[in-house]
Amino acid sequence: MNILVQKFGGTSVDRPEHRALAARKVIQAREANFNPVVVVSAIGRAGAPYATDTLVKVLRDIDPQVPPAPREMDMMMACGEIISTVVFAHTLQTLGFKAVALSGGQAGIITDDVFGNARILEIRPNYLLELIAQGYIPVVCGFQGTTDPLASAEHGAITTLGRGGSDTTASALGVALGAVGVEIYTDVDGVKTADPSMVSAASTLDVCSYEEVAEIAHQGAKVVHPRAAEIAMDHNIPLWVKSTFSDKVGTRISSDAPTSTDARRLTGITHTGKLVYIRLEIENFEHKQQVEREVYRMMAKAGINIFLVTFSPTSLSFCVPRSRYPIARDLLDGMVVPVVGSASNIEGKQATYYIFKFSEGLDLAYSVQRPLLAGIEKFADIVDVPATVIESCTMVSVIAAGHRTVPGIISTIFDYLANAGIAVYQTADSEMSISFLIPESEVDRAVRLLHQRLFENQT
Amino acid sequence: MAFPTQTEPISGHQNVSFERERGVYAIEVMSGVSHAVIQVGEDAGRTGRISRVLSALAGAGVPVFLIKMHRDVVTLAFAGADTHTAIQTLSDNRLTADVRGELALVVVRAASMRDLHGIMVNIADALFDAGARLHETGDSHNSVQCLIEESRTDAAVESLCKKFELSPDAVSLSTLATGGAR
Repeated sequence: MNILVQKFGGTSVDRPEHRALAARKVIQAREANFNPVVVVSAIGRAGAPYATDTLVKVLRDIDPQVPPAPREMDMMMACGEIISTVVFAHTLQTLGFKAVALSGGQAGIITDDVFGNARILEIRPNYLLELIAQGYIPVVCGFQGTTDPLASAEHGAITTLGRGGSDTTASALGVALGAVGVEIYTDVDGVKTADPSMVSAASTLDVCSYEEVAEIAHQGAKVVHPRAAEIAMDHNIPLWVKSTFSDKVGTRISSDAPTSTDARRLTGITHTGKLVYIRLEIENFEHKQQVEREVYRMMAKAGINIFLVTFSPTSLSFCVPRSRYPIARDLLDGMVVPVVGSASNIEGKQATYYIFKFSEGLDLAYSVQRPLLAGIEKFADIVDVPATVIESCTMVSVIAAGHRTVPGIISTIFDYLANAGIAVYQTADSEMSISFLIPESEVDRAVRLLHQRLFENQT
Repeated sequence: MAFPTQTEPISGHQNVSFERERGVYAIEVMSGVSHAVIQVGEDAGRTGRISRVLSALAGAGVPVFLIKMHRDVVTLAFAGADTHTAIQTLSDNRLTADVRGELALVVVRAASMRDLHGIMVNIADALFDAGARLHETGDSHNSVQCLIEESRTDAAVESLCKKFELSPDAVSLSTLATGGAR
């Protein structure tokens, strides 16, 4: 049916003149003999009257002490896209086109019942296909679906897909409808080699692999949500990233782009996250693994994601998001991990109690708990686990497919940073990227420097 | 023209799995890995020595990965086949290194790893149960990479599969050839 899915983000539909430009893209697709299926996000970004954040605030303001139930929260959050969809469908109707607004559920998007971060289970495209066959332009709410109306629990409840949900909707609809492609319209004209607000010389990539764009997105660039890229990749459907506000061709994302199996390829520089780096000194190598597990367990129970995990024989280091650091510190400070040995030590003690201690002023729980352990020192060793902290870190990443097969890339980048006097606290690497943990105050300089050396000097 | 009515129950829809499963979906094992712990000191020359380590190995054509910076050492991994070259290169550059071979990189894959919490404790528990000591670890948005002794690979994979309820089909094995890890 020559279906083309076109997704428009919040800034593409926030004002009448922007909606007119977005509508023009849809009409151009129709004139080029495509059958467009439109997906829209909520109107505007935080602060705008119908933006998702604004709607959520209405609920939260009822009583800040009582968090809204996830089910009702999803119903509220879905309103932003419903309003946007109706407004956009009506815009197309006023221009003389047959358009119909559809909620996610009406478009056949069936999800699980994980409110706030639902996963698409299936799409029932019959109704959409019938509308298209009758000449309608369906305008579908992004970011939302519904639980199965026939399911015994939560039947037909509105769900939201979590971050990047509208991109996910577009990709999934593209797959379900057998579309020839999915166009993601935004306010930049494609996938950039760096954040253009930071690097004026950032260029637009003509073509990108799914893996690269997923990596770029995961490492902080807000172009296409990685879930959308993964769906497109798994089903081999071409994605385009284009600007609503220009006629530039944009970036094509497809499987025939260079991938990690090809030779070294540098795609971009990204930066992400306000991070805190925590280092724990655990001197007894024999007990270290058990103590580490309790750290992981504590972080997991508190819902804190840890990353950049690093071992040495006597230490464990990791990053936590800065927003979660106070909780992490409160949990770790004064935490006691008992390790019972299979045999008593030279002093006849059969256990070791490890107690975590942050630097002075941050060790309130330690200072209370440590004296309480004095009574068992006859029977057990009490060992401090000192914690040191580097606050205000961030991660700068170079997206470099194939770097692990080519010696020298990491060395080169490290030298660029070191020679510029930018401290590198830690590194991480995967098949597709190399990341450097640096002071947050240096992020602008690091991104500009790496872009200049790795991209601008190449052209 | 009236809108078509939606037929219920809907039949004939495409039976497609749209999104990857939440959580861990695959385990990849790459044997033939070596790991080096290289002294770089804590003084003002530390950064320069780290740079020397990386550039020396790059100059010798040894791709490295899992690079980690510690207080007085830098650690990294490379293909076991490059071990001799790596040791010689480090020695030629007057760098003190402790190199351990016969390691395996066990890569645990999950969708949106950094949106999940608790993966690390489950991996650590599984490896502990298997008697596999972690020599180093790395993580990305879709993987946790664990460097363990090759001899514990089978037990580790079995334990990880049990922990994450994965079938043997979810496990892939390979050997790291010279030229680096993919």
